[in-house]
Amino acid sequence: MNLNHATALTLRIFVVIGIAMMVAGLAMSLMDMGDAVLYAGILVLIVSPFAGVIVTFIALVQEKDWYWVTIAAILLAITAVGLGIAML
Amino acid sequence: MEALILAGLLFTGSAAGILGALFGLGGGFIFVPVLMLVFGLAPTEAVAVSLIGIIAGSVGASTVFVDKGLSNIRLGLLMEITTAAGAIMGAIVAGFLEEWILMCIFSVIVFYSALRMILNPEKVIPPSEDDDSRFSFEYNDEANGEHVRYKVENVKSGMALCTVAGMISSMTGVGGGAVKVPLMNIYMHVPIKAASPTSSYMIGITAFSGAITYFIAGQVLLEYAAAIAIGAFAGSIVGTSLARKLHTKHLRKYFSILLIIVATLVLLQAGGIL
Repeated sequence: MNLNHATALTLRIFVVIGIAMMVAGLAMSLMDMGDAVLYAGILVLIVSPFAGVIVTFIALVQEKDWYWVTIAAILLAITAVGLGIAML
Repeated sequence: MEALILAGLLFTGSAAGILGALFGLGGGFIFVPVLMLVFGLAPTEAVAVSLIGIIAGSVGASTVFVDKGLSNIRLGLLMEITTAAGAIMGAIVAGFLEEWILMCIFSVIVFYSALRMILNPEKVIPPSEDDDSRFSFEYNDEANGEHVRYKVENVKSGMALCTVAGMISSMTGVGGGAVKVPLMNIYMHVPIKAASPTSSYMIGITAFSGAITYFIAGQVLLEYAAAIAIGAFAGSIVGTSLARKLHTKHLRKYFSILLIIVATLVLLQAGGIL
C-alpha cells in the first residue's frame, strides 16, 4: 500500500473511532454519564495526526526513501522533545 | 449540555471545518473568539477546545486530501520540523515579547500575502524532463482534469521562514495556515491546490503537541471539545469536496479575501477592540 493510502487510512481509522466515541459520549451525557467515553474519544482524536506520522515513517522505510525517512525521524524527535518540555 | 449550546458549537465547528478544509487553515481564528465571546469560555479553555477542533478539521480534511495525493506529505513533514522548532522557541520567548506586537506583525504579513495573491497569478515551476529532484511532485487537479507536475523552490529559506511562522503561531495562537499557505504558494511555488491540502495536513501535527498538553493537564472541557470536533470533522469533509472542484483562480481569489478578513480580525484583537 503506498504512502498516501496508508497514511490516509490510519487517519481515517483514528478519526472515525474518535468521533464515534464522542457522539456516543455526548448522547450518554444526557443521562449524566459518558465522561469516560468522551475522554477516550478525544484522546484518540488528538493522537491521530501523530499516528499518521508514525505510519508515514514506516511506509517511507518500506519504500527505502532514506532522505525522507530521516526527515520523518527528525520530526518525530522534535515532537518528542517539544512534548517533554511542555510536560515539565 | 443545553440543546442550544450544543447546536451552536456544532455550527461553529462546521463553519470552521469547511473554511479550514477549503483554504488549509486551522480554524483557530474562528474558534477562539467565538468560544470566548459567544460561549463565555476563559482564554485557556477556549484555546484548549480550539486546538481539538483544529485537529478534527485537519485530520478530517487529510483523510480525503492525503488519499487523493493533494497533500504533499513529504514537504509537510519537512516544513513541520522548523515550524515545530519555532513553536518551541516561541513558547520560551513568549514571556519577553508583547503579544500585540506579534499580532500586528502577523497582520502585516497576512495583508501582504493577500495582496500578492490577488495581484500576481500563480507561478508553477514544472520539473524539467530529466529532473528527478527529490523536490518534484505531482497531483491530479479534479477541477479541470489536469495532471500537474511542480517543483518546490526556495526550500531552505522557506523552512527558515517556517520557524518564524511557528514562533508567531505558538505565541499568538493564530497563523498556522494563513502564513504557510501563502509561503508555499507565492514563495516556494507550490500550486494552491497542493499548498492548501498540505497545510491542512500539517496543521493537525502542529496542534497535536499543544492539544495533548492541555488534555493531560485536565484543561479540556470534554463536552465542548466533542461538540466542536464533531462539527469540524463534518465541515471538513464538505470542505474537501468543495476544494477539489474549485478552479485554482477562484480558490486563490477567495483565499485572499479570507486572508484580509483574518488579518483585520487579528488587528482588531491586537488593538483590544475584539
